[in-house]
Amino acid sequence: MAAQSEAFPYTQTVRTSRIMGWLLTIDHKKIGILYAATAFFFFMVGGVEAMLIRLQLVAPDGKILNPDTYNQIFTMHGTTMIFLAVMPFSIGLGNYLIPLMIGAHDVAFPRLNALSYWVFLFGGLFMYSSFLAGGAPNDGWFSYAPLTESAFSPGKGMDFWALGIVLLGISTTIGAINFLVTIIQMRAPGMTFSRMPMFAWTIFVTALISVFAFPSLLVAVLLLLLDRQLGAHFYNVAQGGNALLWQNLFWFFGHPEVYILILPAMGIVSEIVPVFSRKPLFGFMTVAISTVAIGVLGFTVWAHHMFTTGLPSASLLFFSADSFLIGVPTGVKIFAWLGTMWGGKLRFSSPMLFAIGFISMFLIGGLSGIQLAVVPADWQLEDTYFVVGHLHYVLFGGSVFAIMGGLYYWFPKMTGRLLNEKLAKIHFWLMFVGMNLVFMPMHFLGLMGMPRRIYTYGADQGWSFLNALETVGAFIVAVSFLFFLFNLIRTLSRPATHPVDPWDASTLEWTISSPPPVKNFETIPVVHSRRPLWDAKHPDLAD
Amino acid sequence: MKARIKYFWTIFLFIFLSGCGATTDFISHPASSITSRQSDLYTVTLIMAAVIFVIVEGGIIISVTRFRRRKGDTSEPRQNHGNVPLEIIWTAIPLVLVITLFVFTFNTMNAIAAPQPSPNDLKVNVVGHQWWWEFDYPDLGITTADELVIPVDTPVQITLTSGDVVHSFWIPQLAGKTDAVPGQVNHMWINANQPGTFEGQCSEFCGIEHALMRERVVSVSQSDFQAWGSQQQSLPAAPQTDLEKQGQKLVASGVCAACHTINGTNAKAKIGPNLTHLFSRSTFAGASFPLTDANLTSWLKDNQTMKPGNLMGIKVSDSQLGAILAYLKTLK
Repeated sequence: MAAQSEAFPYTQTVRTSRIMGWLLTIDHKKIGILYAATAFFFFMVGGVEAMLIRLQLVAPDGKILNPDTYNQIFTMHGTTMIFLAVMPFSIGLGNYLIPLMIGAHDVAFPRLNALSYWVFLFGGLFMYSSFLAGGAPNDGWFSYAPLTESAFSPGKGMDFWALGIVLLGISTTIGAINFLVTIIQMRAPGMTFSRMPMFAWTIFVTALISVFAFPSLLVAVLLLLLDRQLGAHFYNVAQGGNALLWQNLFWFFGHPEVYILILPAMGIVSEIVPVFSRKPLFGFMTVAISTVAIGVLGFTVWAHHMFTTGLPSASLLFFSADSFLIGVPTGVKIFAWLGTMWGGKLRFSSPMLFAIGFISMFLIGGLSGIQLAVVPADWQLEDTYFVVGHLHYVLFGGSVFAIMGGLYYWFPKMTGRLLNEKLAKIHFWLMFVGMNLVFMPMHFLGLMGMPRRIYTYGADQGWSFLNALETVGAFIVAVSFLFFLFNLIRTLSRPATHPVDPWDASTLEWTISSPPPVKNFETIPVVHSRRPLWDAKHPDLAD
Repeated sequence: MKARIKYFWTIFLFIFLSGCGATTDFISHPASSITSRQSDLYTVTLIMAAVIFVIVEGGIIISVTRFRRRKGDTSEPRQNHGNVPLEIIWTAIPLVLVITLFVFTFNTMNAIAAPQPSPNDLKVNVVGHQWWWEFDYPDLGITTADELVIPVDTPVQITLTSGDVVHSFWIPQLAGKTDAVPGQVNHMWINANQPGTFEGQCSEFCGIEHALMRERVVSVSQSDFQAWGSQQQSLPAAPQTDLEKQGQKLVASGVCAACHTINGTNAKAKIGPNLTHLFSRSTFAGASFPLTDANLTSWLKDNQTMKPGNLMGIKVSDSQLGAILAYLKTLK
């Protein structure tokens, strides 16, 4: 019986009510579930905001939302989905899985872990309280100065946004440090980095990106607060400030941020595809190196969001070249998943459906991204619905599909119950069809001249039909989530069956009970390969 | 080849535009050498993307059909860990493709760059405001708004800035967009190769009425442009009727003068658009409404309903409406 370590003091050994158990927990598994559940709640809120946008844009001269409300809604939709839904969901899954995958009892700093969750929750609620304090932030999720200066955005909305971002930045940074130390220091004996599951790799690189990217955002936002609250003029052009300073500081964070959003999703897909293909991930080290390359290159492309701002030619060419370059490791990963499936014996359970959906949708999003790196074309497409279509293919078709796949995949481990497969498949197909109906026409609308962030458009502009089509697609996506919610509630209300390894998988988290015991592993396992459970089950096919 | 590309796009987009009237895109209706090149380049990237998509998605579809687990088969497949030569190939080929794209990018940027300034060029200063565009012709002494009139087949060298927040000036058929950044002067150029009216819209979120900040470029023959220029440089005809004269007093010496300029009167403010030749234009209020009696009347009576949050906080009372409208209509 291993001695109680520092990580399991008081709250684990003293009897406490169920609710207090959740409120006071420092167990990474409970914190992971708190993160994931909260992220899912915010995802629903962001989804409602999306539906409002689509209702307003279904026809020209929409009157459902007035312009000020519309601007708050689209701002909060973007902010919510990025900072309060996708990121925390990935962090939640990372929290739950990393110690299990690397054979550890918990993360390196369990109390810090709890703190990062509660700061995140408070940050999200704080931002949303702006609706009750005179109006939510309304200048877009990337909030360009000088529009965000007090002169142009009076009211408190932007202050709520800025302070909320500070809180979320703190939460992410301490969470990232926790992941880094955990992965570096607490891997089971024998688990070298090259034997660590790919999802852990992606969380590791994501955490590194976070630590280097968030300070830039923090600085940008602090300068904005100084301008708005204390009369500084970093971005106040009339008094000698610089409008583009905001854009540079923001996008230096903002571009790595999109890799923060996609890398864990790619990690999830890298776990699911091999299990359901019955073969190892094709070119594991190549995929790992590509992940690192994406992380590094991600810091060198930020000005591709600024191609229209009047940058000198040398800058335009440099950032265009690097944006092209980052497509290469990304493409390599897609080929690796394809290589994994090729020659396998594929099973199409719901996690695999979502993973294959991810690969197809992310492929489209990646290709439209490469098109945007072509500077002269970008001068037409920037700030139009083409970009909105591109970003939703990678963030919804990409991250959200992968997250849903991961949810279906690891749900039995977390709760001891399998979600219903029939309902899951309906969810998948509706979401797949709906998603393409919403976001594919956006590329055409961009090519046809429709800018983004407009609360309405005229009947004379020729955009009405495609917008109506997109709204129909949005309803289909919304309905798909009703199937998921029904599945979730129905499954949780049934008794647990505790399947240990329902998918016949390969990694350490499937060697322990569902849900796992408090300390995860009675004894820390010694690891000899990338797929310890597979080797135990198939000694003749062992790595 | 160019004609075929344009034909392809026209058919392709027609399918998706069914029932609508959009012909203002750079892809199928470019109206300058800049946008023709942009359209060609985008077409090339689209074809490349389509080919890559077919190959990769094809691979996925083949895997999903050919390698599905057959019922009853419990054996495991060959545990292939990778294939270094294959991985090198599928790293090298994308690398070659993106280098090719970069070369195309570089070449097109050079091909569409502004030509050296020449005395034939028309110079225009464009200033973005919340939520309308100001156009100054420094060599002609003309200041207008909403609609930029230019002569056909003439390079127009544009300097671009903003009076408040970041906007973006975009006429899809004539050129890519360039941001109007306060505190900075950006340069762009356009050159319409055919007469016509080309529509565009501000493309950088600039506040509550970003959606109704549109612009037009009207390209006319050289002689028509001369005529337009002369008319713009001269003062509008003096008001004739009592109603018009009454209107002039209300407008030029009243609250309108706090924001607008009408040449030849006491209205000299530069906060709102220059109204000297308002009725030589076909749209107003950020080129968002056709300039009709009905629209202008609604605007004067209650513009906050038409364009909520716009910075014209004036409501004209019914008693003054007739006179003001009559006067404004003399500003041809």
